[in-house]
Amino acid sequence: MTKAQIMPSHVPAAARVQAYTGAIGMVALSTLVGLWIAPRWGTAPVDMIYLPAVLAAAALWGIGPAIVAGLAAALAYNFFFTEPVHTFQIDRVTDVVTVVVLLIVALVTSKLAAGIRSHARIAEAHAARNATIGGFAGKLLSLSRETEIAEAACTELHRLFDCNAILVSGLPEPRVVAAVPAGNRLTPSDIAAAALTLESGERAGRGTNRSQPAEWVFSPVRSSGAVIAAAGLARDDGHIPVDDEQLPLLENLLDQLALALERVRAEADVREVSSLRERDRLRSALLSSVGHDLRTPLTAIMGAAAELRCEESSSPALVATLETEAGKLERYITNLLDMARIEAGAVKLRTEPVDLVDAVAAALKDLRTTLAERSVAVELPSDLPLVRADPQLLHHCLINLIDNACRHSGANGALTIAAAMVKNEVRLRIEDEGPGLPQERERALDTFMRIEGSDRKGGAGLGLAIVKAFTEAMGATVTAANRDGVRGSVFTIRFPQSLVFDAMESADAG
Amino acid sequence: MPARAPKILIVDDESQIRTLLKATLSRAGYVVVEAANAREALSAKAIDKPDLVLLDLGLPDRDGLELVDSLRADPRSALIVVSARDQTEQKVAALDLGADDYVTKPFDTEELLARVRASLRQRLASEVERQVVEAGPIIVDLLGRTVRRDGNEVHVTPKEWDLLAELAKHPGRVLTHEMLLRSVWGPAQVAQTEYLRVAIRSLRQKLEPKPSQPRLIVNEPGVGYRLLPNEP
Repeated sequence: MTKAQIMPSHVPAAARVQAYTGAIGMVALSTLVGLWIAPRWGTAPVDMIYLPAVLAAAALWGIGPAIVAGLAAALAYNFFFTEPVHTFQIDRVTDVVTVVVLLIVALVTSKLAAGIRSHARIAEAHAARNATIGGFAGKLLSLSRETEIAEAACTELHRLFDCNAILVSGLPEPRVVAAVPAGNRLTPSDIAAAALTLESGERAGRGTNRSQPAEWVFSPVRSSGAVIAAAGLARDDGHIPVDDEQLPLLENLLDQLALALERVRAEADVREVSSLRERDRLRSALLSSVGHDLRTPLTAIMGAAAELRCEESSSPALVATLETEAGKLERYITNLLDMARIEAGAVKLRTEPVDLVDAVAAALKDLRTTLAERSVAVELPSDLPLVRADPQLLHHCLINLIDNACRHSGANGALTIAAAMVKNEVRLRIEDEGPGLPQERERALDTFMRIEGSDRKGGAGLGLAIVKAFTEAMGATVTAANRDGVRGSVFTIRFPQSLVFDAMESADAG
Repeated sequence: MPARAPKILIVDDESQIRTLLKATLSRAGYVVVEAANAREALSAKAIDKPDLVLLDLGLPDRDGLELVDSLRADPRSALIVVSARDQTEQKVAALDLGADDYVTKPFDTEELLARVRASLRQRLASEVERQVVEAGPIIVDLLGRTVRRDGNEVHVTPKEWDLLAELAKHPGRVLTHEMLLRSVWGPAQVAQTEYLRVAIRSLRQKLEPKPSQPRLIVNEPGVGYRLLPNEP
């Protein structure tokens, strides 16, 4: 596509001279033919001889040459063929009519032809413009990076409008994304014009009524209402690069550019989302496979221990050790996986109304080997409200807290698990008869965790860290303190009012 | 129990687990067949016609959850999932797909055997056996619609009865919250876990010797409830 094709050009001077010469030439030719016909068949058919010349001039070259041809034909006819011959006088009325008719034909035909020609020119211009826009969009379509698209767009604008092109984006400090020819710099007044376009979404710079001192003229690149870039054009000779006639084309091209940029950004968003999803999937697959790999041999060990118990030759004490230690290992694995989930941000909360009776009973059941003969007092009032919690997370919290209490209260120290409504919140306490917390009372649990985590009892730090993370994920809190008046520590999970259900409705509801 | 020993199909890709389960189940008097992957499981199911399938979910050729449906096609065959996957969603998904129960690895051997017995009893029991269920001091008479504790009839509300009857119809098996809510309160109320909690607590007050430490109606956290029957 060349510049001439997209820009409707005026007929150059040389072509104009050629047209008028041609018109007169055709009349001269018609005259020669007339001079040959007249002596043989009379002057009557001669006026018809001029008609094709006038029609042809009108059709080929438009109104000017047509009128010249019409006039020349009328004069030539008058001079050569009407009485008195070889003068410009007219004797007969019919000859006057012939001259007038020739002129009218010239006018009407040229008018008609000009109309048709201008329609054709408009259609051609439309087609050329569509082809230009299509070609531009096509070039951008194959590209998948923003910088590539910006470069290609500048190259095309440079070629189509025969001027320097630049693409600028970013506020408050607009920066050049692409420029053709490369290395074009912007003056401060150009940058101000670009910023104005980016801000207001209006054209600015040379040839507009905004930021006139600029050398460049900037047009907005709009995508879904927002201005995402400004396209600048400038000519080395300082002329206005795009006249009003070409503005709609430029705007169309910039719309195509905006679409291309929007497409690339949407594609990048999709890639981002799907890579995040893939990472989540891999993470949960990894956790589940690690869990499987650790638990499978443990299952075999625990199962084998259970089988051993049935054999008469085996020592019950050794089998019991095997089972207890395997149980500890199992809780440790669960804690490791829980911790991995917490650290990966992969803890999914599934809360529901929970009866703490269920939660405590399930934890005690899972810990029955650890608890063995230990005395556990469970004090849960029958009118204790339900709380909103994630049953699985709460289960792991209780296992860790009860396990921790067992480890700190000697071989047969008694435990108390109690719950009560205190000041609109439900408090679930796990009390032991151990030596209590090391130093001052009411230590923050995380400090306690760190100290515990480093001592030789091991594992406790992890368990308590999980308790803290899980209770907080559910919107509850956990605190640690020494018991009032008696030896031992107490860990309390507090469900605030927002997690406590109102007084129980009738069981026959619904 | 029928005259012949019940046949159990173990589906697990870990040979040491199959060896262990085979030893445990054989000692308990069951006939055992094994499969190491989904393909073998499906052909063993067709050829050996087991009374119960113990299915691991992490199979090399297919995800076990996809198998639950095809292995359960025969209503006379029970299915228990035995998996290291301990997430609540996995358990509920397997039960919703038709598994009779879900045991997490590592499992307690006695508990696994109890689940196996419960599932087989459910499949093999005669009509008469299903009409009366004993659990601790209580006797649930499904035909007479009564419940007795230490011989004395206990008054329960209609909803409490529906709930107790639903649990007693599947003694020893876990029923998900959703299953219980659907059958007792209707499909529109499946999200009303609160109703279920309240009714369970009320039943426990009436039936359990120590309601704050339930032994008869027990909860699987986040999954559902089961009524633990007396072993025959």
